[in-house]
Amino acid sequence: MTLRNASKATLGRFLALVTGLIFLGSCGGSSSSSSSTSTPAANNTAALTVGFGPLGAAGGYVNGIFTSVTVCAPGTSNCETVDNVLVDTGSAGLRILNSALTTVPASSLGTITDSNGDQLQECVQYGDTSYSWGPMLVADVELAGEKASSLPIQVIGDNSFAVPSQCLATPVLFGYGNDDTVAALGANGILGLGAFGYPLDCGSYCTSSSDLTQSGYPYYVCPTGQACSATTVPTQDQATNPVAAFSSADNNGVLVTLPSIPALGAANGTVSGSLIFGIGTQTDNALATTATVYALDEYGDIPAFTYNGVSYTSPTNWSVLDTGSNSLEFLDANTLASVGIIECADAPGLYCPTSTIPFTVTASGANSTSGTIMFSIMNADTLFNTNNAAFNDLGGDSGTSPANDFFDFGLPFFFGRSVYIEMMPGVFAGESSAPSGATSATYGYYAF
Amino acid sequence: MLTLGTVPAWAVLGQYESSVSVDQQYLRSEDRVQAFQAYKVHQLTTANGTIVREYISPQGLVFGVTWQGPFMPNMQQLLGSYVTNLQTALPAQTHVRHLRGLTVKTNDFVFVNSGHMRFWKGSAYVPSLIPSNVSAEVVR
Repeated sequence: MTLRNASKATLGRFLALVTGLIFLGSCGGSSSSSSSTSTPAANNTAALTVGFGPLGAAGGYVNGIFTSVTVCAPGTSNCETVDNVLVDTGSAGLRILNSALTTVPASSLGTITDSNGDQLQECVQYGDTSYSWGPMLVADVELAGEKASSLPIQVIGDNSFAVPSQCLATPVLFGYGNDDTVAALGANGILGLGAFGYPLDCGSYCTSSSDLTQSGYPYYVCPTGQACSATTVPTQDQATNPVAAFSSADNNGVLVTLPSIPALGAANGTVSGSLIFGIGTQTDNALATTATVYALDEYGDIPAFTYNGVSYTSPTNWSVLDTGSNSLEFLDANTLASVGIIECADAPGLYCPTSTIPFTVTASGANSTSGTIMFSIMNADTLFNTNNAAFNDLGGDSGTSPANDFFDFGLPFFFGRSVYIEMMPGVFAGESSAPSGATSATYGYYAF
Repeated sequence: MLTLGTVPAWAVLGQYESSVSVDQQYLRSEDRVQAFQAYKVHQLTTANGTIVREYISPQGLVFGVTWQGPFMPNMQQLLGSYVTNLQTALPAQTHVRHLRGLTVKTNDFVFVNSGHMRFWKGSAYVPSLIPSNVSAEVVR
């Protein structure tokens, strides 16, 4: 918390001078009633369920991972628990569908407005070209027994403005659009718990007026009768990883634990796990002595992987441990053809080898650690024919060649593992001691 | 400020090298040129660290582009008419979603864009425009 607060104050003052724009959360005070570090430790464990999600087998995706999030009107006990929120370690910030807020509607949340009274809006475009578009509002957010007061969250779909074309850098593919319904999102929201060195979705790139003309820019205001225009936003009003805003000490990262599952998968709703907040802050989240710490680089990525004698380095071949992806997006079918990987005839982009292929890759952290990651990839058609919903061996292309491949270790990676994701800047922030074998982690780390 | 809704046909991919200077103005970037035996590369770098590279054949045509930066670049501007290949090439996804990236691979157009918040990178090229003695792997 101290680091985050310090950076907030500095950027806020700087911005006020540069642009003359100051956003003020209209919410009341942060009358937190949750625990502090001097009182008994907070319940820091939220339940995870794996499966098709709210759309079921017919319309859902496999390997969805969900939890419940409680959203409260700021400073009140007026709260609503939203289930089926996608847990996404590949993004930052909480985003909730407007339609999922019923007893605590968006209108009861705090607003964030500029000096003209215009409400702050955000547009986030995802890799598949779909996007989320809606206002940034202020809520008290509870996860298990943890509380983040006056947290800026995005309410997807709660506006009537046309989405700014500036945000949609890649033209939206046919069949994709605003993820503002359960049908489009496959969830009631996205809980972004990514590392990336600091817990904001934009950070300093959205505090300087010099970036306002960039395509893909996320923050806008929409004055009456005018098109929406890009605006700078102080860091305290940007979408923020809720964990970093917890009032407890469990605010430096998360531990995701999921059980092992069979090679042919597990049925919908039968796999459950734990989302444990904090690393090294309670007895249940101490870094395992068997875990290897991989410090991240300035891009928030693991610096290097080696496979089959070839080194793949960030940022050209970037990487992420990503509960928000449903498959192991690992190299590409051309590169892996020699070991028997071929694409599925009926689903280009997914792998359909004729037999299960084992892989061993070596990961190297920025702290000079290295370790091996072993996984297998099975025929995706075979897996889908089981009608199961959770798979540890579903894989597909990331790019088309080593020149553009990346390593998106999706949910299959997490089964049978305890994965620590430390997202705070600084060296082992909040932990009682540096993890064994790790000397620095300026941009956070993964450990498993 | 918000004029991006009406992007003119400043197409770059598949166009002549002169279109690079339009990109340079649009991106408000510095332009550094590297010459190799069989092609040359314009590297445009903006103030916020976005890097766009444009690969030029001996015939003067842009055969590939790459990008890396905190935001996705304007693909209509970089890809020109090839942007329509994006929207028509991809079948609807089933079973999985790809929140982190998009890959389109056809005989005459290859496109990969990937990343996460505050970091995006990618490349696109036209196989038929790549000089015969050059590998597509140079577009990186």
